[in-house]
Amino acid sequence: MALRISRRDFVKIAGTALALSSIPVSISVVSGFRQPSVSRLEAIGSQREAVRTFCGMCGALCGIQVVKVDGRIAYVEPLDGHPQRGLCGRSASTVWLWDSPLRLRKPLKRVGERGEARFQEVDWDTALNEIAAKLREVVAKYGYKSIAITHHDVWSYYMPLFSYLFGTPNVISHVGMCHASGTVARGHILGAGGPPSVDPDYENASYILFVSRTPGTASMGVLNRLRGNRKVRIVVVDPRMPEIGLGDAEWIPIIPGTDAAFLLSLAHVIIEERLYDETFLKYYSNAPFLIKPDGKPLTEADLVEEGDARKYMVWDAKTKKPVDHKTPGIDPDLLYEGDVTLKDGTVARVRTAFQLFRERCSKYKPEEASRITGVPAETIRRIARELALYKGVVDDTWFISKNGNDYDDVRAALILNVLLGNIDKPGGLCFQESARFPAVITVVTRDGKRYARTFYDVEMPEELFGDVGATRVDRTKYRATPATFDAILDAILTGDPYPVKALFVIGTTPIHRDMDVDKIKEALGKLDLLVVIDILPQDIVDYADYVLPDTTYLERDEFTTVKWTLHAAVHLQKKITEPPEGCDARSALWIMFEIARRAFPERARALGWRDEYADYHKFEEFEESLSEILVRKVADTWKIPLETLRKELEEKGYYILKSKEYMVRPYRVALGTPSGKCEIYSLTALGLGLDPLPDYRPPPAYPLPKADDEFYLVNGKGPLISAHALLMEPMRFFKHLWSVWMNPRDAERLGIKDGDIVELESLAKPGKRVKARVWVTEMVREKVLFTYSYVGRRSKLLPENHFARGGVNIHELNKAYVIPIVGGGASNTSVRVRRVT
Amino acid sequence: MVRLAHLWDMSRCVACMACVIACNSANFPEYMRSSNPNPQWSWLASNIKVWWISVGGRPRVLLTQCMQCDNAPCVKACPTKASHYDPKTGLVTIDYRLCIGCKACVVACPYGARWMDPESHMPNKCLGPECSSRIENGLKPVCVTVCPANARDFGDLDDPESSISRRVRESTTIRLREELGTKPRNVVVLRGG
Ligand code: SF4
Ligand code: SF4
Ligand code: SF4
Repeated sequence: MALRISRRDFVKIAGTALALSSIPVSISVVSGFRQPSVSRLEAIGSQREAVRTFCGMCGALCGIQVVKVDGRIAYVEPLDGHPQRGLCGRSASTVWLWDSPLRLRKPLKRVGERGEARFQEVDWDTALNEIAAKLREVVAKYGYKSIAITHHDVWSYYMPLFSYLFGTPNVISHVGMCHASGTVARGHILGAGGPPSVDPDYENASYILFVSRTPGTASMGVLNRLRGNRKVRIVVVDPRMPEIGLGDAEWIPIIPGTDAAFLLSLAHVIIEERLYDETFLKYYSNAPFLIKPDGKPLTEADLVEEGDARKYMVWDAKTKKPVDHKTPGIDPDLLYEGDVTLKDGTVARVRTAFQLFRERCSKYKPEEASRITGVPAETIRRIARELALYKGVVDDTWFISKNGNDYDDVRAALILNVLLGNIDKPGGLCFQESARFPAVITVVTRDGKRYARTFYDVEMPEELFGDVGATRVDRTKYRATPATFDAILDAILTGDPYPVKALFVIGTTPIHRDMDVDKIKEALGKLDLLVVIDILPQDIVDYADYVLPDTTYLERDEFTTVKWTLHAAVHLQKKITEPPEGCDARSALWIMFEIARRAFPERARALGWRDEYADYHKFEEFEESLSEILVRKVADTWKIPLETLRKELEEKGYYILKSKEYMVRPYRVALGTPSGKCEIYSLTALGLGLDPLPDYRPPPAYPLPKADDEFYLVNGKGPLISAHALLMEPMRFFKHLWSVWMNPRDAERLGIKDGDIVELESLAKPGKRVKARVWVTEMVREKVLFTYSYVGRRSKLLPENHFARGGVNIHELNKAYVIPIVGGGASNTSVRVRRVT
Repeated sequence: MVRLAHLWDMSRCVACMACVIACNSANFPEYMRSSNPNPQWSWLASNIKVWWISVGGRPRVLLTQCMQCDNAPCVKACPTKASHYDPKTGLVTIDYRLCIGCKACVVACPYGARWMDPESHMPNKCLGPECSSRIENGLKPVCVTVCPANARDFGDLDDPESSISRRVRESTTIRLREELGTKPRNVVVLRGG
């Protein structure tokens, strides 16, 4: 097969200048560097090969090349030209991952109590057969929907397939503890989806305001794009300084949980100083929509019999009449306020959405916002003016499940871009081009019957769907949520809305991801079956009934879309090596199919699984054929000759299907909002019973710190943070990872020195205490402590003195809080600090 | 004459540590699993040091490695001429055939750029073996190519066309502890062009 052949055919970087100049991979590396005429510095006759692939050390999947020296994976380099060019410290630590002494090497079966981490090694057949038998038992008693699967980014493409394979709707990702509020807000304001569906145009922006985000340190491809832009000014607003603040970015330390007040105050200044883009607001947003006293938009149905309730009315300044907002040639009045006569003869006082928003923002005059946020009023005014002057862009956020009021933060951030009219323009907040990548499963109807059709053209008839059509547990509680795993914990604990009895945890670690470790542990204890598929001993492993070792990204093929780019692009991950000696890892795709084959054989068969794939080599052929099929389908969709696409993928590792085209949405293509326009007044939110406008509400998730020794405890990501990378040996030496950050003035006040041990007692859960080492640094605001995500490990499978035990797992100190309807969780909390040594 | 040097740009670096980590796996693979490979620095087996500093109350990070001094105290201190200037590149280089592991250079270096190898008991410093081999083959050193922030460069300061020379021209730069008369080649960019 084509992919296989050139995989072996690594690009060779041989040791002569001639060879170098003829090989594209090294040309890009040496460009701008005149070859010095140097003699041999050391007699090293090394042979280097570079394999183009994409990184899997976090969910971002940046373009990299893995460099082997004399056959050894020696280091990782960014992949030049790739639209999301790596890399970062996580990726650099890949070299430690493959043969890590911590790697899970054999299937494990629990022999002690859950949490004791006492296991016995078993062979694959035993593990898979026993899991399948247990699953059949659970299903017989509670139905298919009592099976739940949770995951993060790895394997997420295949999750809908797993859903059909096991007949359950309950495939629930990490998103509730990551970007749920942002994703809901993006839908409500812009009709968009997950974090990359709209993104600042990093290459061309002249000014970017990041609020509560670690810009470009958690998808390094973004940083690369930012750093390629030499004119951009970067401002970061965060209680702790994101790493980019170490360089030339301006850091504005803000009181945690007050971002919405800050952003609405910016909007206030922009509106009152008339710095907004009036034309954009009039024609491409719902700012001029007329809103009735009950908060609903005035529609044609209010005015005439048989009127259309989807025709939203604006006040036309030319004709002095309410007209449908889509009427050509009108001049919608942004500031209208007055009476209109409804079809029943009554008179209603209407105001434009813009007026309502303006009134909302006026609650947050800079002096008032300063009192709430701790940011000087002058800074607020300056940032507002700079944003307008530079035609700036406000980032749409990423990891935002922090304070329980985050949905409003993102709405306010998005609306600022609408006010500035900087949507889908060069340097603005832009929509990502769709790669039109095939879905793993689509439901098709033929002759009145439904089939689940896979991208590899196999169909499963509806009688085998099991409970796939049932309402997902989290959606019964949080109607708008993209995914809220906390609802699964509730279902396990209470049986409401229905029991969940079996849980698969695939490449994710709920104990460092989800709120309230005590609640998680209690729920895990109540399961009939807990299966963890992973490559390293994350804390969740200790509770598993079965632990199944997965492959790393170096050990398998994958073909998928490039995530963090505005272009439509695809890239290829290549199997670079087998798992190390003695490591019997299998891909999660194989594992899930093999469990299904034993538990629900009709389903596995209907979804294209053959008995012979039990043989792992046969499976690898199947897996490779899946990549082939995806490549072919993408070639078909985009009408690219298959050979061209294959060749480009082989040679470059990536392919840009369509470059970003600006000024499309909402200008030529309607948005996915009810009005098709940017909605500063969200009609979707209104329909859900939410406030249609953003507002600042004090963080509801934890008590606010008051006394001298009370602090906010906040968490975040960074360029070394992922559940796997943090377990790699180099991380031991970076003390900022394994400490709680404290501002020097707080430290002085409390008599705490750098390196001291303190005890943190949760204010949200009194009595809950954790010890940690302090790093005294100006990188965190006064009255705030910071800890990275995924630190503070407890797994008994880690050596007693393992460095990853350092730091604080914030979920040991927080209490579960989920934003109603929206479904976003809150990871931050508050604590009392006491010096121990 | 070529005057090879490193450039590190403080205004671009985000302390991602990719360079620090890659230096280890590329140049000192034998020390990847060791919990104390570089006792001298209490650090990983990397030629790059990280300093968390404060400049006017503002937190910054400073990354240092061998400065490639043109008037190198380590070379002066070396009793056996093991530490010497490479005749072609001028880079400060150690000839391990002559080194007796006396640590005179380690003590002499005002930048703390050298660390004792726990097994060979001889000093290590930038460039390490893989990077030496790379530049010999016309490739930039590992820390330079891995940097996602474009915070690093390496090249010939005497060649006005080189990317490093261009960056020096277009930026506000300093050299560390010049007052010592060490004539360090390596450039720290404070504000990028
Ligand atoms: S951000 Fe870093 S770890 Fe994540 S995919 Fe990119 S290079 Fe890999
Ligand atoms: S040039 Fe090589 S040896 Fe020197 S610091 Fe960079 S990676 Fe390390
Ligand atoms: S790789 Fe670049 S951004 Fe990362 S720490 Fe090194 S110099 Fe800084």
